Amino acid sequence: MAELATSVKKVIKSKMFALIMLLAMLTTFMQFGTDGMFLHPINIRTILDMMIITGMLTIGSAMLLISGALDLSMGAVGTMAGMLFAVLLRYYGVHWSVAFLICLALAAMFGVVNAILVNFARFPAFIATLGMAFVAEGVSFLFAGGANISLSDPFMRALATGRFMNNTIPFSILILLVFFIVYGLILSKTKFGRQIYLVGGNPHASRLVGINPRKISFILFINSSMLGAIAGIMFNSRVAAATTLGITERQFFGLIAAILGGVSFGGGTGGLGGAFVGLLIFSAFGNGMFLLGVDSFWNQAMFGMLLLVSMAFDYLRTVGWKNIIGRRSL
Amino acid sequence: MANYVEFNNIKKGFAGVQALDDISFRVEGGRVCALMGENGAGKSTLLKILSGDYIADEGNILIDGKPVVFSSPHGAIKASISVIYQERQLVPGLSVMENIFIEDLPTKGIRIDKAALRSKTQAILNEFELDFSPSEIVGKLSVAHQQMVEIMKAYRRNSNIIAFDEPTAPLSEHEINTLFKVIRKLKSDGKVIIYVSHRMAEIFQISDDIVVLKDGNLVCELKSDETNELELIKAMVGRDIGDTYAELKRNDKIGEVVLEVRHLETDDVHDINLTLRKGEILGFAGLVGAGRTELARAIFAADPIKSGEILLEGKPVRFKSPKDAINAGLALCPEDRKEQGLVLERTISNNVSSAVLSKVRTGPFLSKQKEQKLANDAVKMYSIKTPTIEKQCIELSGGNQQKVILGRWTSEQVVTKVLILDEPTKGIDVGAKAEIYQTVCDFAKAGLAVIFISSELTEVINLADRIIVMAEGRITGTMTRQQATEENVLKLAMHH
Repeated sequence: MAELATSVKKVIKSKMFALIMLLAMLTTFMQFGTDGMFLHPINIRTILDMMIITGMLTIGSAMLLISGALDLSMGAVGTMAGMLFAVLLRYYGVHWSVAFLICLALAAMFGVVNAILVNFARFPAFIATLGMAFVAEGVSFLFAGGANISLSDPFMRALATGRFMNNTIPFSILILLVFFIVYGLILSKTKFGRQIYLVGGNPHASRLVGINPRKISFILFINSSMLGAIAGIMFNSRVAAATTLGITERQFFGLIAAILGGVSFGGGTGGLGGAFVGLLIFSAFGNGMFLLGVDSFWNQAMFGMLLLVSMAFDYLRTVGWKNIIGRRSL
Repeated sequence: MANYVEFNNIKKGFAGVQALDDISFRVEGGRVCALMGENGAGKSTLLKILSGDYIADEGNILIDGKPVVFSSPHGAIKASISVIYQERQLVPGLSVMENIFIEDLPTKGIRIDKAALRSKTQAILNEFELDFSPSEIVGKLSVAHQQMVEIMKAYRRNSNIIAFDEPTAPLSEHEINTLFKVIRKLKSDGKVIIYVSHRMAEIFQISDDIVVLKDGNLVCELKSDETNELELIKAMVGRDIGDTYAELKRNDKIGEVVLEVRHLETDDVHDINLTLRKGEILGFAGLVGAGRTELARAIFAADPIKSGEILLEGKPVRFKSPKDAINAGLALCPEDRKEQGLVLERTISNNVSSAVLSKVRTGPFLSKQKEQKLANDAVKMYSIKTPTIEKQCIELSGGNQQKVILGRWTSEQVVTKVLILDEPTKGIDVGAKAEIYQTVCDFAKAGLAVIFISSELTEVINLADRIIVMAEGRITGTMTRQQATEENVLKLAMHH
């Protein structure tokens, strides 16, 4: 009985519990606020429909954050890849699968450059990837001369917008789930995943136990660029056009979702399970605000506040009220 | 100036642990009071209460009989109290003079009076016999010199009450001597001085009174000239541990040469030649900055080598990274446990398995059972004090953290031939030290070749079979345990 009590206590104190409670509270609030519209199957489908874009960015961001780095170029690289994809299909008649691979290769090159800047030129990841974000943005202007390009490959469109089981469940959400599960397993169950945590926790110590932090960093930067590219191509396929705005701004949605889900900025902590719940909270929040008729200008501010409030709660949960009040100085 | 400080029934608890339980004692001005006890005895907590970092649950502090109340470190400084912690609290990007005078920089109008600042700082530097410039950037100084800056910062405040928390840990003999000179001067000025250290020799050199704490309780108050080392250790650990070194069960079978280094050159060490045999403990003595850590890192391929040869079991090897060195059978327990040894936020189990992740897998996935077995073995073998192997390493005491690192390199999954221990007993209490000495002897018995680096002379010359002395990146002497005395080792260590 006592054992049960302690394990219940442990669950209640866990990060995951707090996240799920937050999601439940948010859902309840939205459900009543919108007179039952929020949990209507059609609305749920709407939420799920768009999740793949932010979801891919969430995975890439979470992996890098855990390793102690970050990639601010993911979104711009995604926009660039999406633009190249449209150009290749429309102007050069390239098959979607070939175009897809070319775009991934281009994105991977950006990842390599990021990794070289961070690991060899010793730039802070923030600066290196911010610089590369502008480079990628510039390149996407060059690809299309600043114009928007329509995109209508039937297969890609089906992949991005198709639904099955009576038009209820989007394909894209299944793809995203598979990605989350595979990446989640890699992160929590494999040697490589453990090495990401160790490097993020203490790069010096991990090098002295025979881990190569540079190798990990290269793999993760290439990975995040490629996930960005997938997100960019999926987005363009959904909206049937490539624009120079693309998913550049959504980059930050991915970061916010990961951080909401308990991936810390300092590296070494968090996981993809939490990041997924973070993604759900973020998506539900955005959709709920829209349903409640909140002015879209307010949306951005609300996202910011959601992030700040949830971080404040997380801080209180881990540090404890007493210690903050009892604390004298920093 | 007949002032004194009195701790009056101080109690302080943290989440169920009584860190200090009803502590009362008095420190007179013009005397040095050593505060002793094993790690976790409550010394640091007491100093934090003195410095205003923590507030006592019960009890108070009296200065000259008057209770003082302050609720922040700032208040403590105003009450003329300075506490110098182990963790340096300096601004690394600022110069020495700016750090020393950080709370009240001399000004000329609205501008900082650089000339006055420089001359005031130079005067203090002269008093401390230090030869770096007042405008040197603190981040570029050695750890030892940074510690001296921290001490000068407190000295400059001219506080009446000064507490030192293990000030000599990063210092070399020479700097310790200067520090003691300063402390003696402060003492003759009638200041109240509280001194925390694990080093026995120092305690008898500098202190007048000794207060021993154990598990948050005050065990006894002694006069330094009326007690001795054995009695003190007994009070600290609560039992008689006898003569540690005489009781060690040593290895007497030294085998063939395992590691040989020829004419090794790096940025920091020059023309290093050495051999290390199976079952041998090779001690490295020297002052801080003599190049011992750098040599260890070079052998382990953590730092690049310029020229020279390393032979392992007779065959030349050229490691590209620590990974190669580990695969060949080398293991390094680094000097700085927190910065280089452990991933503090991870569990004991994760840290033990970190070097052998490939060996704790079933198929492509890490196996929880295999990992836990490894960690449980380490906990058992070194009697690591923890309720569970899932505890984060940050919550362990220094001694237990060291044992986790040892456990990592001696599990059944690693084939360690050469074990390099860099300051394995730094900041560890007496009881745990004795355990680590025996463990090192056991390693030698098991056939490991051990490199033992330590800045504590007594420890190196009593534990090692052979002692290499280094100074300024070069080997200045080699001798056997029988030949070594503190005097001749120190002479070689200060060799120029």
